[in-house]
Amino acid sequence: MTKQLPLINVLSICLVGCGLVVSAANAADGDWKRGRVYYQNVCTECHKAKAGGPIAPNTRTMAEWTTYLKADKHVKGKESLAKYASKEYRASIKSTNKAAEKYADIPDEQLFNDVKTFMLKGAKDGDSPASCL
Amino acid sequence: MGTGKFMVVIMASMLLIHTVYAASDPASEKLLKSTSDHSKFEALQQDFSSGPEVTKACLTCHTEASKQLHLTQHWTWEFLNPDGQRLGKKNVINNFCTSVASNYASCTTCHIGYGWKDDKFDFTSEINVDCLICHDSTGNYRKQPGLAGNVVTKPMEIPPGSGNMVKPIDLKKIAQAVAKTSRDNCGACHFFGGGGDGVKHGDMDSSLASPDKALDVHMDATGINFACATCHMTEGHQVPGSRYAPTAQDKGGAHLRGKEYTTNPTTCQSCHGQAPHKANAKLNDHTNMVACQTCHIPAFARGGVPTKMSWDWSTAGKMGPDGKPLIRKDAKGHLVYTAAKGDFVLAENVVPEYLWFNGKVKYTLFGDKVEKSSQPTRINHFEGAADDGKSLIWPVKIMHGKQPYDSVNKSLVVLHMAGNDDTAFWTNFNWERAIATGMASVGAPFSGKVDFLETESTWPITHMVAPAKDALHCRDCHAAGGRLEKVSGIYIPGRASDHARWLDGAGWAIAALTLLGVLLHGLGRVIVSRRHK
Repeated sequence: MTKQLPLINVLSICLVGCGLVVSAANAADGDWKRGRVYYQNVCTECHKAKAGGPIAPNTRTMAEWTTYLKADKHVKGKESLAKYASKEYRASIKSTNKAAEKYADIPDEQLFNDVKTFMLKGAKDGDSPASCL
Repeated sequence: MGTGKFMVVIMASMLLIHTVYAASDPASEKLLKSTSDHSKFEALQQDFSSGPEVTKACLTCHTEASKQLHLTQHWTWEFLNPDGQRLGKKNVINNFCTSVASNYASCTTCHIGYGWKDDKFDFTSEINVDCLICHDSTGNYRKQPGLAGNVVTKPMEIPPGSGNMVKPIDLKKIAQAVAKTSRDNCGACHFFGGGGDGVKHGDMDSSLASPDKALDVHMDATGINFACATCHMTEGHQVPGSRYAPTAQDKGGAHLRGKEYTTNPTTCQSCHGQAPHKANAKLNDHTNMVACQTCHIPAFARGGVPTKMSWDWSTAGKMGPDGKPLIRKDAKGHLVYTAAKGDFVLAENVVPEYLWFNGKVKYTLFGDKVEKSSQPTRINHFEGAADDGKSLIWPVKIMHGKQPYDSVNKSLVVLHMAGNDDTAFWTNFNWERAIATGMASVGAPFSGKVDFLETESTWPITHMVAPAKDALHCRDCHAAGGRLEKVSGIYIPGRASDHARWLDGAGWAIAALTLLGVLLHGLGRVIVSRRHK
């Protein structure tokens, strides 16, 4: 037996769906140049110093990066990856990191999206494979 | 709360989130930068199947753009030297890949046009101007080698038979996102001059796409983030600061807003003036002799990309044990030999050489007589002298080459390297056939005799400006074996070549006599004081 949804619920579901679609579109369309600067100066510099060396975007495929980004796990799953693009994290390193200082006020989601855009674009099979330079 | 009300709350929350997000999102940032959103332009609401189709759409609004471009060196690849020499990429022979002639379809990958595949290219065509190579902001616009500057709009195997499939680019998306030029745009060609990343210039490579302050204080992506056009201030698509028209010495002051200038806006002085050193004013005494770049660019190729310092074509053509063209790499994985090109010497963090330069450059062109001798043939030659009142001491990269020439006609040669025909050197590795085709393409005689000539070319160093703390110090020049040891015509205290033994001897003798006098005087005092006791 099926139960009919009230009209308002149908409309609401549609609008929520639209919201998610818009979010997904934003996720694919960040500022890749800003993402590149953050990736190079924060991610790469930290990996060089503390995590056994840099990981260039072009060492993974888009699918691999997508899976990694979706999982949102860092430091062997102990922490959220998004944390490293957060204002809080940027504030903690901005005295020694110029990219963190420059982008101190960018909203978390926006900056993380920029970094994601650069990683996917720079992937091995992305539109513009990128090394660590 | 019923399901309906719950959904209304969720819906309202979603809308609120998006409203808040929009206030601090890229859309707002875009609005601050431009009054036009090209994604809304009707002319760009179509799928493009070629570059010229995009240009046609651009021209519906930017009606005069192609006409402007037609007047630029970027389009003509020609430059008339003040002494009458016809220069520009189209005409010069260098000691990298040597010449454009006979290799158009490959070399014109870096032309700001579409379809320059031979000497019949229509330079009056407006739709063949490539707007996107300079105005793409997506970073996805690519021109593949061998396509005469055309772009890939459907899957294509490049080079043919290689199995390397190249994905098409989305011209509609790229056209809808055009923007002012950036380092990535200019760098798409200028970082890769000479056939690869950092090969030619030494002070320009892909590390400048997003450099830190240590690499370049002006282009520092985490700092003031200059685009190329910040200094190469373009008007009517004319880009000032070409190396064919260099300004060796700018005696003017800093350019002020509201005032019109006809001088080169790319010089250091056009912003910093003639007395830029505030903390140590003594340094300003150097600016009438030494180019700013000499002290402020202590080394080039500093961004992790090596530059080519020498190229020996004479060893090209070797096959490996498997019968395939040989390649060799260094410990870092950089190519140092290929059958197609011969041996290379690469280097990073290179200390420049220094010479007097007055802004005039003389070239050895195709057709000029060249002789094999103990001295390399100068492909180009920076003129200047200490006493001409126009020269400064400049840092340069000297590129050493060994390249084929016609040993009977005593002429540099046009090499037919790239192409899908059986005379191209990169196909058959036969010098005589490749040169015969190359020379025939320009209507020049070829004796059939090939030998190799040592050459050198000179390149100004003017990018990769280091922070002040990393600039040269006094002792870098004012010491024996200092950087300017070989620069003639000037007295530089401290350097070995300015030592006068007799003056040193006289100085030490005077010092010794002074010491002796002091000692004798002291002794006299002691003796006199004892007598009084």
